[in-house]
Parts: sequence; C-alpha cells; structure tokens
Amino acid sequence: MFPDFRSPKAYVSVILLAVMFIVPVVMGTAFWTNLFVLLFVFAALTTAWNIVGGYAGQLSLGHAVFYGIGGYTATLLTANFGITPWIGMIAGALISGVVAVVISYPTLRLKGPFFALSTIAILEVVRLLVIHEESWTGGSSGISLPLNIGWTWIVFRDKINYVIIAFVIFLLVLWASWFIRKSRTGHYLIAIREREDAARAVGVHTVNMKILAAVVSAMLTSVIGTFHITYLTFVDPGSAFSLELSIQIAMFALIGGLGTVAGPIAGTFLVLPIAELARGWLSALGNGMHGVVYGVILVAVVLTIPRGLAGAFGPMIERMLDRLPYLGTRPVKQAAAPASTEKHVIDRESPVLKAEHLFKNFGGLRATNDVSLTLYRNEILGMIGPNGAGKTTVFNLLSGFLSPDKGTITLLDRNGTWVKCTTPDDLAHKGMGRTFQIARPFTGLTVLENIMLGAFIDTSKRDEAERIALRVAEQTDLVKYLNTEARNLTVGGMKRLEIARALATGPKVLLLDEVMAGLNPTDVEKAIQMIRRIRDSGVSILLIEHMMQATMALSDRIIVINEGAVLVSGLPQEVVENPAVIEAYLGKEYNDA
Amino acid sequence: MDIFIQLLINGLLLGGAYIIISLGLTLIFGVVRVVNFAHGEFLMVGMYLVYLIATQFGVHPYLGLIPVAVILFALGALTQKCIIQPLLNADEHIQIFATVGVSTILLNLALVVFGANVLRAPADLGTHAVSVGTFTVVTGQLITFIIAIVLAVLLHVFMHRTYLGRALRAVAQHRYAALLMGVNVNTVYCIAFGLGTAFVGIAAGLLAPQYPVFPTVGTYFVLTAFVIVVLGGMGSLYGAVAGSLIIGVVDTLAGYYIAPDLKEVVYFGIFLLILVLRPNGLFGTSTE
Repeated sequence: MFPDFRSPKAYVSVILLAVMFIVPVVMGTAFWTNLFVLLFVFAALTTAWNIVGGYAGQLSLGHAVFYGIGGYTATLLTANFGITPWIGMIAGALISGVVAVVISYPTLRLKGPFFALSTIAILEVVRLLVIHEESWTGGSSGISLPLNIGWTWIVFRDKINYVIIAFVIFLLVLWASWFIRKSRTGHYLIAIREREDAARAVGVHTVNMKILAAVVSAMLTSVIGTFHITYLTFVDPGSAFSLELSIQIAMFALIGGLGTVAGPIAGTFLVLPIAELARGWLSALGNGMHGVVYGVILVAVVLTIPRGLAGAFGPMIERMLDRLPYLGTRPVKQAAAPASTEKHVIDRESPVLKAEHLFKNFGGLRATNDVSLTLYRNEILGMIGPNGAGKTTVFNLLSGFLSPDKGTITLLDRNGTWVKCTTPDDLAHKGMGRTFQIARPFTGLTVLENIMLGAFIDTSKRDEAERIALRVAEQTDLVKYLNTEARNLTVGGMKRLEIARALATGPKVLLLDEVMAGLNPTDVEKAIQMIRRIRDSGVSILLIEHMMQATMALSDRIIVINEGAVLVSGLPQEVVENPAVIEAYLGKEYNDA
Repeated sequence: MDIFIQLLINGLLLGGAYIIISLGLTLIFGVVRVVNFAHGEFLMVGMYLVYLIATQFGVHPYLGLIPVAVILFALGALTQKCIIQPLLNADEHIQIFATVGVSTILLNLALVVFGANVLRAPADLGTHAVSVGTFTVVTGQLITFIIAIVLAVLLHVFMHRTYLGRALRAVAQHRYAALLMGVNVNTVYCIAFGLGTAFVGIAAGLLAPQYPVFPTVGTYFVLTAFVIVVLGGMGSLYGAVAGSLIIGVVDTLAGYYIAPDLKEVVYFGIFLLILVLRPNGLFGTSTE
C-alpha cells in the first residue's frame, strides 16, 4: 500500500514533498500561496491524466471534461441546494466515473491521433451543451459560488487553507498514481500500451483495464476540478471545458516524462513557474507570452528529449539516489520459487487440445480448410508447411486471436474439464500460452517485468509474481539479463523472452510460433534443450518451425499444412519421406527426378 | 420547400471553404502520415497576413491570397523540415505533441502581436448578396465555392498527371518503396506539407470578406476540417470534397432546424459515430 520509506528513493521524495509544502507556508504572501495552489492543482491534474495518457498510452486531449464536471456539479449543488462542495466533490467524481465509462467504451479502440481527436470532439460537445442549457447551467456567462466562508464551503479568507487542501489532494492523486504503477494493473496498462496482442496472450482483459484506467483518472481529475473551481469561486464553460487546459495538462506530462510517477510533477514544477514568470515580466508585450513559452518548451522537448525529463535525467538521478544509505537493514531479496517437482506422466493417449474441422476465410481466400488436430499430454507436435500455407492462421484460431468460420476448439483446462474459449485472455486463464512470430517485448519494461506480466495471471502480488518470474528466467536462460531493458536483448534473447512470458502464465498447452527463426546454431541448440525442459515440466507443446533439423529432433509427431489444409500427419520420419510433403515443399519435378 | 432549397444552397456553398481547408489537411495526412493539429493556426496566420496586406497596401484579399499562399507554403515546408522531419520515426504521440506545440506557439504569438481584438480586412467584392430567382447567394461564398472546385480539379490533375504528383502518391503509398525508386522522400514531404498549408493560405484570402480574424479563429475552422477529413476518410482527396459538402449542408440544416448553437454538437456527434463505427471514413481505405 505504501512505499518502503527506508529506501533512499522514498525518503528523498518525502523530503522534497515536505519542502514543496513548507515554501508557501513560510513565504505566506498571496503571490506564493496562489502559485503553490496552482502548482499542486496542475501537478495533480497532470498526474491523474498520466494514468490514462501515460500508463495506458491513450492520449486524451479532452480531459478538461472531467475537471469541468467536477467544478459544475459542486457549484450547482452549492448554489441551488446549499449542499457543501465536499459532497459535490464526491458526486462530481461519481458522475465523471460514469461519463468516463460511457466515453471510453466506444472510443478506446481508437489509436493515437484518432483517440485524441475524439476526446477533443467530446469536450466540444459537452461545452456547447452546457452553453445551450442556459436555464440551469447559467449558459456561457457561467455561475458564481456563494461566498460562505469556512471549511464546510471550502472558501477561506486565510489563503493558507487552500494550500493545505491542494497539497492533500495532490498527495492523494500522487499516491493513487504510484500505487497503480507498482501494482498489477499498472503493469497491465503498460503492456497494453506497448503491445496489445501480447498483453491479451498473457491473460489481460484489455477492455476492462483501459476502462478502469479511464475511470480512475476521470474521478481524480473531477475531484481536483471541484477544488480548483471552488478556489476560483466562479465557473464558466469557456474555462472549465477548455481545450487549452486539456492540452496544458497533457503537455506538462509529456515534458516531465509520460508513464512515470515523478515525471508529470517534475514537468509541472519546472514549466508552470517559468510560464507564470513570463506572464508577469513580459505582460507588457501582450497576453499570450506564457503560451508562447509553453509551446516553445514543448517543441524543444519533443525534438531533444522525447522521453521527457524523467527519460533524460531519471537514470542519472536513480544512480545518485542509490548511493544514499538505506535506513536500517535491507529486507532479504526473494528467492526464486522452486520449480514444480510433480512427476509428469508422458501420456500419448489423453488429449489436451482438440481442434475439429476448422474453416477460416479472408474475403475470397480460404486460409484454413477443414483443419483438425489433437495435441496429447506432454507431446511436442511440430507444425510445418511451406510459406503461406496457413500455419499462423491455425495458431491464431487456436489461441483465440481469430474466430473460426466453422469448427470447434476445446481445451482441457487446469482443473481437467474441457472448455471452449473465444478470447485470448480467457484462453490464457484456462491454461494456454503462446508466443508471436515477431518477437517484440514490452519496451520500457525490464526483462524481469516482462516475465512478471505473465506471472500476474495468478497473483496480484508483486513479490509472488517476481518469484515466479525468477524461476521462469532460470528455465529460459535469462537470469543474467533480468534488469536490462527488454529492447536491448539480442534476437535470441528476445525469442527466449517471448517463451518466458508465455511460460510465466503457467500454461498446460504452449503454442510456439517460429521461436528458432533467425537464431545462430548455438542458440538453436540452447533453444532445443530449453523446449525439452519445458515439455518435461509437464507442458504440451505445439510448435511452428522452419528449422527442419530442430523440428525433426524435437517433435514427437509432425503435422504438415499446405494450402490451408492438413496434408499429412505422423511420426517425423514418416512425414519427411512422404512424397506429398516433398512435392509441397520442392515441387513435383523434384519428386520425379 | 423554398427555405429547404435555400438552406441546401447555403450549405453547399459553405462547403466550398471547407473543401480548401480539408484538402490541405488530408493531403498532409495522406502523404506525411502526420495529423497536423496546427492546421487551424496556419489558417489564422494566413488570415492575419491577408489582413495586413489589405490594410497596408490596400490590396483586395482575393489578390492578397496569392503572396499569402506562397508565404504559407514556405512556412509549411519549414515546419516539415525543422520539426516533423526529425520525428518521422518517432512515436505517434510525439508527433501529435510536436504539432500541438506549433499550434500553441502560433496561437499565442498572434495574441502577443495582435491582441485578442477581432479584426476585419476591408473588402468590397465578396460581401454582397445576389438574387437568382427566389434564392439569394453571397458573392463571396459563390466565388469561394467555384475556386474550391477548380482547386480540387487542379489538385487531381497534379496528382495524376505530373511526375511530382505521382511521386507524392508513391510516397503516400509506401515511403521506403518510393525511396528505393529514387524519389527524394524528404523533399516530397516538404512539398506535401507546404501545399497543405498553401491551401489554407488560399482559404484565408477567400474567407476574409466574410469572416473577421482573431487568434483562435483557426480552432473554429480546423475542428470542422477534422470532422470532414475523418468523415471522408483520412488521406482521401475525394472524401475531403464530399465530406465538406456533407458537413456544409448538415451545418446549415442543423443550424436552422435544430438550434443555431447546437449545429456543432450535431456534426461532432456524426464525427464520433464515424470514428467508432467506420474509422476509415466513407471513402477511405484501410491504412494498415
């Protein structure tokens, strides 16, 4: 629930936060309190935005919708019914949460600029509707908050009270952001952002995760909106549902570093004061000077340090922090979870995966034509076939990424019952793991975290996931690289990481898609040993492979796919000597010669 | 019925200005594959330039638009070269922020230089209404519409009949393949971006007799242009023309039959529906 305050990173953060709070308290003048209320509000808004925009990678440029809803709900309740803004704050947050579900359900499959445009459109629609509904919203001229003084009404003469509330809200948002980042949810969000298909393959329900992020972010933004608008004691559609505000929030997060906990705060505390100073000093030059400052800084950051302050200076600061002493004795690092010692019976009689009469058409192309196959317990079944034969389509059908036009797929789940699943995440939960032909790890995460994503399927505890990940890393020769960023691995390493991630979900059935392609002979030998070890640990494996020697050495049985249909299947030796197979691979003439 | 036909005429004519703005936007997206969030601010810059030329030299905006289009071409090409080019292989969100940054700078510079005042370029031609039978049209809108159609035809001819146009289409289809065929991709990008912004320069001159200029004027037009371009299919030139006419008509009809202040709500609603139900637009093909 809370960081380990004895670690240098945590106690230095606490000191910094304390300084942030003490400065306005000591200085005490209206200028300082106003500046710090603004800083805390924007740091909180940016941090809340970062949950959706950074962790989940959904670039919202309409986040002011929730700020405005928070502000309007509280103001309307106070002005019309005399209800305290504290209740308005909660009511606003609830409405924002509902609105976030309504908005994100249809829009979350939109990517990049299209998602951004849709959020702008929603913001505009809400703003125009609020202006239109003049009878109860006050229209474009807005409404003022009645000036009842006191804690009940969040209106004060002594401005320091505003600083206290702003700081507490900021801490709350910061804690939520930190907690999500460190939790399973945070890892899942980053996985979705980096590579949605792989996230689904390790059992992530991507729709639910994205909606969860949107709701949390919206509710926090709404709470901040309620506070800020009661602070301003006035709300109008132009400033509450403002595109400029939405862009500013996103901008601070980018400048600080998207997807990090500290980045958004760093961005706000660096840029906002500069712009405020520019507004003060250069006001003689005209109104827009602070906006120019924002724009110039944004373009400069994008061109020079696209990963923001946290990306550029984060590693250096982390190294410096590591030199500071740990207060007390460090807790002992977790040992790897022991590999299962359960004895596995090689049993070629009992099937674990059955596909019956699968058909799949893409337009006029029949990619899969009446494919049936059975995978037995503890078997390695090799699937071969010329390029374009439809092997990967069969894989995608089996793992739920495509749904067959006709035919059924049943899987023996962990509890020993036969189940039909339709989505990849469901299949992953039932005990199927898969790799992808093109190995792309979740960049921005370390190798350990990549493997942990798989391990999170059974546990939401970080420690437990780490233990499982360590064991899988041993199985897959990745222990050396645990703390390197996954993008720096060699091709062989990335392929092994693909397997490790799938393996961490504890599958009973593992589908491997060309895990040896592009490897050097030493790595191929390693991979063969590894796949054998995995099989011996009680996993049934279906593999697509072009490396004939490897397939021959590994497979208990081979199935040959050609033009979308099963050509032959049988023992490796029989299959390679089959004339039909030779013809499919090399052409008829070769066979006749 | 007469009112309906009059509204239809108004709507189609309104579509004229939209055609020019959205052709520019869709051209930039189609070739460079960047969504230019600063497109509206380029229009705003164009409108201020038209205003300056009209007030300083007494040149009518319809003539003033020629130098303005040239200046905006240069501005667009420069933006491409200095800001977009280095980010071509960057993440999508970085590209979005880059153009958002340009937009923020331009908008606020206008605020610094001209203040928040609403300025109007002096123009006589283009502000009158003429009657044809029972219907009236504003001359400026009619001229804009005709020029828009001419520009769309010229752009079509340029894209299909000239080497440069073919190069643009080749780059739009496949950057690396075009590179291997000896197309200077970076130059093509600069030209595409420049052409896209030159189009808003032309639009700026044509809009001047009807619309005043203020720092956020671009936002108003560009949001509509985004709706049009998404409706027509990002990158599709024909889609941009059809989308402009549709949105022009929707704008006018919704303004009359629903409520003047809700017309944007109507087409933003259409926009969201299209994004969710048919993200490739009415005429677009999949970009994957």
